[in-house]
Amino acid sequence: MSAAASPVQILRRIASQEAMLAVAIIGLAIVVGFVNPRFLSANNLSDLLLGNAYIAVAAIGMSMVIVSGNIDISVGALIGVLATVSGSLAVAGYPIAFAWGAPLVIGIAVMAAQGAVVAYLGIPSIVVTLGMWSILKGGLISVTGGRWITDLPNSFHLADVEVFGVLPMPVLIMVGATILAAIWMRFWPGGRAIYAAGGNPEAARLCGVSPRRTTIFVFAAHGFFAGIAALMFATQLRVIQSTTPAGLELVVITASVVGGVSILGGVGTVIGSTLAAVLLAEIASALVFINVSPYWTHAVQGSLILATVIADILRRRRRLGAA
Amino acid sequence: MRKLLMTTAAAAAFALAFASAPSRAAQWDGADDLATSPLACGTGANPAPAFKPYDGGKAVNAPNLAGKEITVVDVPKLIGIGYFNATTKGMQEAAKELGNVKVSTDGPTEAKIDEQIKFIDNYITRGVNGILFAANDPVAIAPVLKKALSKGIHVVGYDANSEPDAREWFVNQAQFNGIAKAMMDSMAKEIGEDGSFAIVTSTFTTPNQARWIAEMHAYGDKCHPKMKWLETVEANEDNVLSFNQATTLINKYGDKLKGIFGMTSVATPASAEAVTKAKECGKIAVVGLATPNAMKPYVHSDCVKSVVLWNPVDLGYAALEVMRAVVDGKLKAGDKEVEAGKLGKLQVVNGSEILLGAPFVFDKANIDKFDF
Amino acid sequence: MNRYLKRHETILAAILIVALIGLGYLNDQFLTLDNLLNQGRLMTEIGLIALPMTFVIVTGGIDLSVGAIVGLCAIVLGVAWKNWGLPLPLAVVVALGVGALAGFCNGLVITRLKAPPLIVTIATLALYRGLAEGISKARSVRGYPDWFYVLGQGEVFGVPTQLWILGACIVIAGVALDRTSFGRTLYAIGANETAARFSALAVDRAKLIVYTLSGLMSGLSAFVLVSRVTTTRSDMGLGYELDVIAAVVLGGASIFGGAGTVWGTVIGLVMIQLLKNGLALTGVKGDATIIVIGVVLIASVLIASSLERRRE
Repeated sequence: MSAAASPVQILRRIASQEAMLAVAIIGLAIVVGFVNPRFLSANNLSDLLLGNAYIAVAAIGMSMVIVSGNIDISVGALIGVLATVSGSLAVAGYPIAFAWGAPLVIGIAVMAAQGAVVAYLGIPSIVVTLGMWSILKGGLISVTGGRWITDLPNSFHLADVEVFGVLPMPVLIMVGATILAAIWMRFWPGGRAIYAAGGNPEAARLCGVSPRRTTIFVFAAHGFFAGIAALMFATQLRVIQSTTPAGLELVVITASVVGGVSILGGVGTVIGSTLAAVLLAEIASALVFINVSPYWTHAVQGSLILATVIADILRRRRRLGAA
Repeated sequence: MRKLLMTTAAAAAFALAFASAPSRAAQWDGADDLATSPLACGTGANPAPAFKPYDGGKAVNAPNLAGKEITVVDVPKLIGIGYFNATTKGMQEAAKELGNVKVSTDGPTEAKIDEQIKFIDNYITRGVNGILFAANDPVAIAPVLKKALSKGIHVVGYDANSEPDAREWFVNQAQFNGIAKAMMDSMAKEIGEDGSFAIVTSTFTTPNQARWIAEMHAYGDKCHPKMKWLETVEANEDNVLSFNQATTLINKYGDKLKGIFGMTSVATPASAEAVTKAKECGKIAVVGLATPNAMKPYVHSDCVKSVVLWNPVDLGYAALEVMRAVVDGKLKAGDKEVEAGKLGKLQVVNGSEILLGAPFVFDKANIDKFDF
Repeated sequence: MNRYLKRHETILAAILIVALIGLGYLNDQFLTLDNLLNQGRLMTEIGLIALPMTFVIVTGGIDLSVGAIVGLCAIVLGVAWKNWGLPLPLAVVVALGVGALAGFCNGLVITRLKAPPLIVTIATLALYRGLAEGISKARSVRGYPDWFYVLGQGEVFGVPTQLWILGACIVIAGVALDRTSFGRTLYAIGANETAARFSALAVDRAKLIVYTLSGLMSGLSAFVLVSRVTTTRSDMGLGYELDVIAAVVLGGASIFGGAGTVWGTVIGLVMIQLLKNGLALTGVKGDATIIVIGVVLIASVLIASSLERRRE
């Protein structure tokens, strides 16, 4: 499905993909609410969003990468590195704006470099990002030895800020970033180019879209969102563990995938991935609330992920008719 | 549409099928079939542990290096976390004092037993004189340690044991039941004899944590029978995941939750943070094992009253002293105690374990004196 | 096509030889028979899985659930023997069967639903790992009879037992991919699946076979692992998928399908294993070693593919 389809068709497709996720989120909340009403308390729902917003933001960038026909295995390690950098700068006395800005810049730079290697040197993204994951992980331990970063100045904690006294900053960032990214990808030529380059690079090139430049750009954008996610990750707790969160890249990719991005490129939206991230967090919390045996928690999560993925594929196949 | 509904329904059914499980706490199995041995309640005297004959392994044809310089490698569960940085620090201190030991720390970047085995294997090939280890799995690590012994390399464990015959000695920071008693007594003091609590641990398969929890179960049943055990959740060694899990527990139980145990040096600060964020400091107690640096903010804000641990720097120090004593022939099978530098004489218990001492409690008064 | 493939492997082999000579020069325990055989023993688990993974990647697919299948099979092996009371050999067969079944389910969803393999196997990764945890209830099964350890810790004619098995599998896999029509079908699927279908090739059946093989070999790998470390844990095989994929792509398989050989995968596997070993023997620590591996991975693929392009 090319990005040049009519707006009505696109809207209809978006509506059903994300609608399913939204229905699942609300449906699950109601079901769990029956079993344990405390699940629906304002505190719990907002904690759920707060604690996992950074995954949704990282999934925005990841979705773009996957839509463009690539993949990134290094994002978890990168977030760990950026969080440590941010915390270290804050503790060392640099102005807070600098401590917040540096990870964004570094994130963009590291990811854009990977994008360049993929685009201009023709190395598959899975190889580049797999190698980079190792490098970042080893590098972080070599440099910091896994030290705890404590003594963070109070002003560092972005996550504590509440806009208008009510809306927690991380949720605002998550929602805002999603909407901005979605609008950009839908309506700006640069964004739509990502779909084109992912769906059919040859056709894209003939239309004047440079897949190479698009790839670098997509990775750079991914780095930006990874930087924001790292900030959210770093500012949540009073201490920072200078380690790369294990398995984070898989969680982010899962969020994008459940959100409906197709690894074949060319399809999927960031609204889907944000909703998916929320749904995954909700499932994890729900399992605790409804007393699923602790040994079976991951199995249930896995089967729900599989069910969601299968349902999404079935739905998409019906849309396209017999494939 | 129908298929979609069916799939969703199936998934929901699957999930709810397990909801019939009773209290999650009752599910805890302890994970290793070993018997628990809770200590006496309160400050009652504990029966002296029965004497156990030496059950450690033996280095085969080890070269006599008494008094000579030796090379020792330390392979902890993983590198790059504060706890093992501390044990390394202790080892380096001991090495400096002894003057004739070169010790380096090397290990996998993730706590995987398979990786740890490969590291030890490489050092066997390199030919070191001694191996210190903290095992990711007591049984899986045994074959490679036995290989080391068979090549004349001395093997001493610390922090996390292996099967006894795979190493010569094991430096135990504190007895499992001692830690369980310290934790449960601290919690009972803070939340009262009929309070209810939950536990945040790393994974159910991490041997030390599993044993501690089993001992806590047993001690709780014996000495604090009215305290309610709500549930145990896993959070790997992930800061943010531990925080999220603790927050979920707080939201799930509300006022019923009076205390949270953190079983790892990551879970405890994260749980403290969750309690702080939920503005429940003082209403929900946090008791756990943690390194002092990570806990300073919470102890200073009075959110956490005490942090139980042993001193990992001392643990590393003792481990290296024991290694030196073994090489020098000063510590032999059947000995009842060993001289360990500035730590004085350490007792031998359980056949081939060397006890560091009682658990150490960090609190507001002393926490600033430590930097690890 | 054939010349392209030979070239990547040759370049890689050359890089490997240079690395071996260098590391051998830096320390003398590295190039000893003892050490090399030992490394062969230690790389068998990944190697066994890398073979069917080559097939999978040649068809343009991927299987991220292999590590989880290893964990699941290891647990089933132990539980079947201890809790269900099956005789140990039968428990092993059941474990292998579970692996094959898990792979088959992957293949079924991928072929019947025409679902992208990446997505399906990410989901099944979570499911299978979760099943392993649930079935095991965090307990290990230990205390196997002595004969059980021969596979993982024993030797036959001086060579580790599992290395014989790996060798046999390499030969079979190499012949299958290179010389049989099945192998040609796989390349055709990877090069252009639609054309392959129109050519009346049994595309779905071939895919089903490779994913089932992937699961089966993961089960075999689990058997070797349990035999080597004498216990079962539900977290066994954690991270294997990335190690396996690294070996396969290093060996020249294109992630887009249609290219790759078993020979290349073997070189990739050996290179990663010996590099880690050689660096450790030379005194490079764990954190620096993974940095080097990451750099080598990118650099090798870069060198091999740019020399490729120069010749075209």
